[in-house]
Amino acid sequence: MSELNVIKKERTAVINPIVTCQPLGAMYAVSGIERGMPLVHGSQGCSTFVRYGFARHFREPADIAVTSLHEDAAVFGGRKNLISGLGNLAARFKPDVMGVVTTCSSEIIGDDVAGFIKTAKVEIAKKMGEEAASKIKIVQINTPSFVEHQFKGYDNAIKAIVDTLAEPKDEENGKLNIIPGIVNPGDIREIKHMLSLMGVEGILLTDTSDPFDSPLRPSKADKNPYYQKGGTPLADIQDCANSLGTISLANYASSAPASLEKKYNMPSKVSEAPIGIQNTDSFIRTVKKFTGNDVTDEILDERGIVIDAMADVASRYLFGRKVAIYGDPSITVGMARFVAELGMIPKVVCTGVKNEYFVNDLKKVAKESDEDIDALFGQDLRALDVYLKENPVDLMIGSSDGRLMAKDLGIPLYRVGYPVYDRVGYQRRPIIGYNGALNLVDGITNTILDKYYETQDWKLQQ
Amino acid sequence: MPFCLLDVDKDIPEREQHIYIKDSKEPKGHCKQRCNTNTIPGSMTERGCAFAGVKGVITGAIKDVLHVVHSPVGCTSYGNGTTKRYPTRPEMPDGSVFPVENFNLKHIVGTDLTESDVVFGGMKKLKTTIREAAKEYPFVNAIYVYATCTTGLIGDDLDAVCKEMQAELGKDVVAFNAPGFAGPTQSKGHHVGNYTIFEKLVGTKEPPKTTDYDINLIGEYNIDGDYWVLEKYFDDMGINVLSKFTGDATHGELCWMHKAKLSLVRCQRSATYVAKLIEEKYGVPYLKVDFFGPEYCAENLRAVGKYFGKEIEAEAVIKKEMEKIQPELDFYKSKLQGKKIWISAGGPKSWHLSKPIEQYLGMDVVALSGLFEHEDGYEKMQERAKDGTIIIDDPNTLEMEEVVEKYQPEIVLGGIKEKYFFHKLGVPSVMIHSYENGPYIGFEGFVNMARDIYTAIYNPAWKLMEFEDEEPGDSNE
Repeated sequence: MSELNVIKKERTAVINPIVTCQPLGAMYAVSGIERGMPLVHGSQGCSTFVRYGFARHFREPADIAVTSLHEDAAVFGGRKNLISGLGNLAARFKPDVMGVVTTCSSEIIGDDVAGFIKTAKVEIAKKMGEEAASKIKIVQINTPSFVEHQFKGYDNAIKAIVDTLAEPKDEENGKLNIIPGIVNPGDIREIKHMLSLMGVEGILLTDTSDPFDSPLRPSKADKNPYYQKGGTPLADIQDCANSLGTISLANYASSAPASLEKKYNMPSKVSEAPIGIQNTDSFIRTVKKFTGNDVTDEILDERGIVIDAMADVASRYLFGRKVAIYGDPSITVGMARFVAELGMIPKVVCTGVKNEYFVNDLKKVAKESDEDIDALFGQDLRALDVYLKENPVDLMIGSSDGRLMAKDLGIPLYRVGYPVYDRVGYQRRPIIGYNGALNLVDGITNTILDKYYETQDWKLQQ
Repeated sequence: MPFCLLDVDKDIPEREQHIYIKDSKEPKGHCKQRCNTNTIPGSMTERGCAFAGVKGVITGAIKDVLHVVHSPVGCTSYGNGTTKRYPTRPEMPDGSVFPVENFNLKHIVGTDLTESDVVFGGMKKLKTTIREAAKEYPFVNAIYVYATCTTGLIGDDLDAVCKEMQAELGKDVVAFNAPGFAGPTQSKGHHVGNYTIFEKLVGTKEPPKTTDYDINLIGEYNIDGDYWVLEKYFDDMGINVLSKFTGDATHGELCWMHKAKLSLVRCQRSATYVAKLIEEKYGVPYLKVDFFGPEYCAENLRAVGKYFGKEIEAEAVIKKEMEKIQPELDFYKSKLQGKKIWISAGGPKSWHLSKPIEQYLGMDVVALSGLFEHEDGYEKMQERAKDGTIIIDDPNTLEMEEVVEKYQPEIVLGGIKEKYFFHKLGVPSVMIHSYENGPYIGFEGFVNMARDIYTAIYNPAWKLMEFEDEEPGDSNE
């Protein structure tokens, strides 16, 4: 049994951060609503940087509007901008949901966002008529960027969406609420696939899979205005109050499940991402527990295929190799547990957040691992860089932001998480669930083969 | 009246003044297209903020400077590598070698402001951060510090902190006061960057050596290696680039810009300010130059040659380069002739590129747009457009959709945020801000761009977009 060594941050400065600000998480969450529009109440950079990042990672458009705060708003407040912004967005795009996402500036100015939304609703009704206006829901999401990071912003957004939109009825709908966390379209599709194999209908809170991986079919596209296909329909979100239970697959997204549990007496479970075998097993067991549905042979066969792949390659190529993992707290913990399942050593795990779930989850992984795990909490890529210079590893797993560092250190990088912009397809291939585990086994092993066996390629003859 | 209210803008009629349709019968200067004004709230704008303008465009390309963003973690992370591709070489003007190649693409520092800093002020934290940064990267030659929305609103005095830290560290520590909300676009950040560099740096250092043929190459950011293309031409002409502003530049080069014989201004949107200031104070004249497309490229190399009495050298470069690219140009023209194109650049590329694309590729420019262009830029766009061309200031996505429908461009040159949106409408798009497979400047660069346009239009995917019910050839014709 091994231990978790927490390495303290020795700097005030953040150098090469691996987290970003709350609004990004909120914009991501709202983008997963069908005809849902994030309206960022802040400077143009606040929406543009995020749109740029999403476009770069997903290779898809990201429709995010902004209230364009300038000097006059800094002095007089953003009232005019928010009210006219909501009005213009409503009239021109006719969205089902507008998510008002606050930023540093609107939070510091101290705008009465709730009050402005009320006024905006009256104005929209005047402009579009009561009926049309009542169809457009407005969700207020407070995401001061100087507090925590995008994961908190995601959590705040999902809670605000659920709290504002859920409509309890007397009857249960037999469905399961799933909060996927900040993951890729491929991961969300994998969640839906697992649920379907279990005969369960899910309500994804929210479903970014199609909006961020949408078909190119110009003749069939929703135009004037163009909307990306898919997303969770408003009706489903409203129905989430009547579900059997709520599972959050990101340990940082716990507020919405807690709120639903409290208000509607609905069971909930918050866990790390279902990456690897044991975490996916645990997810499947929770689904079974909440729905009473059996674990089908189909799903166990998918599990068996991964185990088969692990049996084939792990001991020969992967065993004992040291890995550095960085990024999203929930995903890194899942990855650490899975590389340990592969016989590798999760030598160091680095995340930009300080989050108690993360520490506890990683302690659990450390106990199962053969060697100690060094953990960098609330740290940055520079801290990992310095660490790796002293303690080299065989493989890095994380986002493209570590690519230049990995190159300089001569360590191969297997790309996982957000953002990945220098390789294609990573956003489409799941890392979650059994199929995700299969992708990881293949991807990790091939990365190891490229680096460590290329020079002796005769070794790969059989 | 050449203004145009698009159907999607009926709820925001003020947009009419921003959209102009070229009509040569209209007296020149009669219709002033509105621009450089605040974006209408609730729009899906492509514009960025002032911080993006200064760090993302002006200073992010310098090779030996460490950037400290005084902000919550978000702006720092967005300031890291999320702007254009500005590669740098480690060679320094004095012959030494900077220890890290592409240092500017690898490192960014932030103060990671939190709630208590917002309440009590962040200046102490900024000092600590600058000290730590200097310790972490002792080899950098300067530290640049950036204000953001947060620090602008809480009122931290960056100049005071930088002055103190400069004295303590013994190297230049420079504050750039362009908080995100300043000005209507990133253009405000360019402006602040120019003034700050002029006020605080130009004239403070002397170059290791000078020649009679020293120039400042201003507004050239080495996107995808653009600068290296131009450097080669100047080398061939025996002209020495004493200072770059700022692609692959060093901090020192900015400090001795006053020593050049001539300034050339490449990006006339983001960098004319500094050239003007240097001319006023130090008497270094400047030429506005354009190296996009073979003709402008030749014209401007000739102008530079003339200034230095190196006409023969200029002609030799032009001849050599034209000979190399002519066959390829002919090929691309044969493939692109008559195709409709929309050029939607951030700043001046929309007017730089319209003529060369018509002249050398035979394409039909149907729409032009800018994100943060000012009046002078739109005047040039209008002048260079043929009748009926739509010219749009700060287009938003709804307008883009309508323009695609009405003008049916077969390709759009734009940025990454719009690229995939155009794809969904069935229109190929090539990135003109950061380039796809650049460089795009100079003779060979224009060919690179032509190739990217060609491969985008002729991508077989566009022919396969729709499923055909009948096996091709089965429908008896």
